[in-house]
Amino acid sequence: MTEAAVEISGVNRNDRFTRGSRLVDVLSKAGLAFAILAVMLYGSFVSPAFFTSGNLLNVLTSMSIVGIVVVGMTFVLVVGGLADLSVPATIACGAILSLGLQPMIGPLPAFVLAVGLAGLIGLLNGVLVGYAGINPIIATLGIGTIGLGIVQAAVGGVIVYGSNPASAEFAKGRLFGIPVVVLIFLVIALVGHFVLSRSFWGRWTLATGGNYGAAEASAVPVQAVKAGAFVITALASGISGGLLGLTLQSARPLIGAGYEFSAITAVVVGGVSIVGGFGSVPRAIAGLIFVQLLTNVMVLDGVRTPIQGFVLGSLIVGAVGMDAALRKRGVA
Amino acid sequence: MRFLSLASQHRVVIILGLTLIVSALMVPGYLSASTLGLGLDRAATIGLIAIGLTVLLISGQIDLSGGAVFALAGIVSVILQREIGILPATIVGVLVGTLAGAINGMLVVGLKVNSLVLTLATMLIFRSLAHWITNSQPVTGADIMLSLALAKIYLDVFTARSALFIVLIVVLHFWLTRTIPGRNVFAVGSNPAAAKESGIASDRIVFLGFVFAGTLAGLAGVLQSLVTNTGSPVFGSELTVAVIAAVVVGGTRLEGGKGSALGTLGGVLTIGSLTIAMEFQSVPAYVQQVVSGLILILLVVLDRAVTTKGRAPGTRPALVRDNPITQGGNI
Repeated sequence: MTEAAVEISGVNRNDRFTRGSRLVDVLSKAGLAFAILAVMLYGSFVSPAFFTSGNLLNVLTSMSIVGIVVVGMTFVLVVGGLADLSVPATIACGAILSLGLQPMIGPLPAFVLAVGLAGLIGLLNGVLVGYAGINPIIATLGIGTIGLGIVQAAVGGVIVYGSNPASAEFAKGRLFGIPVVVLIFLVIALVGHFVLSRSFWGRWTLATGGNYGAAEASAVPVQAVKAGAFVITALASGISGGLLGLTLQSARPLIGAGYEFSAITAVVVGGVSIVGGFGSVPRAIAGLIFVQLLTNVMVLDGVRTPIQGFVLGSLIVGAVGMDAALRKRGVA
Repeated sequence: MRFLSLASQHRVVIILGLTLIVSALMVPGYLSASTLGLGLDRAATIGLIAIGLTVLLISGQIDLSGGAVFALAGIVSVILQREIGILPATIVGVLVGTLAGAINGMLVVGLKVNSLVLTLATMLIFRSLAHWITNSQPVTGADIMLSLALAKIYLDVFTARSALFIVLIVVLHFWLTRTIPGRNVFAVGSNPAAAKESGIASDRIVFLGFVFAGTLAGLAGVLQSLVTNTGSPVFGSELTVAVIAAVVVGGTRLEGGKGSALGTLGGVLTIGSLTIAMEFQSVPAYVQQVVSGLILILLVVLDRAVTTKGRAPGTRPALVRDNPITQGGNI
């Protein structure tokens, strides 16, 4: 049991991905690094603005907001939960409530309460997926629709503005020259990585995603682990939404639209398997860096937003197809 | 127990009846022919997409890109009106839906990936295409008179669109229950491996299911654009949940292998009459979303509970992962 657990926890050693061919694994990892380098190279050719500190700082900041969601979404994919489509609702919940409640209870309690309520949406998702066995995409789609509707109803479907300049200063400020948002992202990513790769919860998550029946037979609380992944994602999205709201000092109900796709794209492009049981936070973040740099280069290159969506969608198809192909080779 | 299973079998009738009664009590004049006709016309949009989704869900797959195909097909048909005439443009619009469905089907069957995730990605792609083509602006058609003709009400109740929906659903009912290809769809959905062993071309059926679903989403989009004389890249974005809810209300299982055309008819009518009732009471759009989300979740949970009840004690309910819908067909 312990040996098996160690094997599972060592994501880079003895997983299904490498069972077939070590070469495939090396290629899939180095491939992403090459892709990131290629995008940077291309970016510096097409636009002189790409390699300025201002631009890279912008990329880093916007990456951090999505990145916090990506950390949570990694857990959902690894546990075999497919995807969490309620992210726009939880982000809106975090953003709208952390701004809307400021006048009543102060900025910090508002933020905490907003994140907590987002977590509650995640708990609903988790109970439906983990305990009731509902298809994750349907459950999160439904709960997301309900959650977003309730949040909109709570503020009357209007835009909420911030009323506490101090909190805005904090969110937009810098510590040791690094934006606070980036620091928060780094802390969350480190915690997420530690939990997924070094803790019992991470082992359980990988085991549940890899083989649900075997994990259950080994006394892993599979239902709670599965539910937990959705709670983690919702808390992360709540934090992300809160920071987004504080930075922008305004929050519309649709503030989180599209973030679910950005997060899913990053995770699957990073090579986290869509059927679960394999993946790590650094991989997902590598995927995120690639996608964000690509988007940034497209923006600098004057590529219009719809085309960016097109590219994102194609990336998901490509990554998912590649995952399926590699998986087949790994099993053979 | 017997009462419960009987109730769950005929739940469409019960839910539809309850909806109509409650709506009639709350909205004065609700049961007049013109209101019902309006509701039916509204339901037809959801209904046409739901027809395609019913077949797809029975075969164990799902298509989340329907709303985006709906918008894309409508836009194409409106834009082409001035170039090639209204009828050819309409046909091309529907064919765009067919093509989108074929792309979905090819990717799902060819790459052997989960249809939920794949159609999520193609939804993003089709939606981006719609924004791309139109520059994110709504486009208007060439002939406003056609819209008026299409909105004309026959026999006090039917519009061209709702009549088409009713005819198609009856055809689908006979196809699913009386023909061999129809039965094969159920076989593929309930056990892909067994279906394959019995000589059914599962891959082809799944592919054609996607083509069918795409075509109907395209048809619905084209009709919507003809009736409103506009094509907009944001059309249909709120349809996904409503359509899935309608089909699930009708008793079609997300796990595949179970479902019926008449059930979908009931589900579509329920969602349609609810929408109309809420609009008459000027309930805000976001509350309507909450309601359709709630219906979806409640019924999916109910389905799950009823399915689990029949099992021998001690056995685990079927895992979500075991189902073809989450595994992506025939892995």
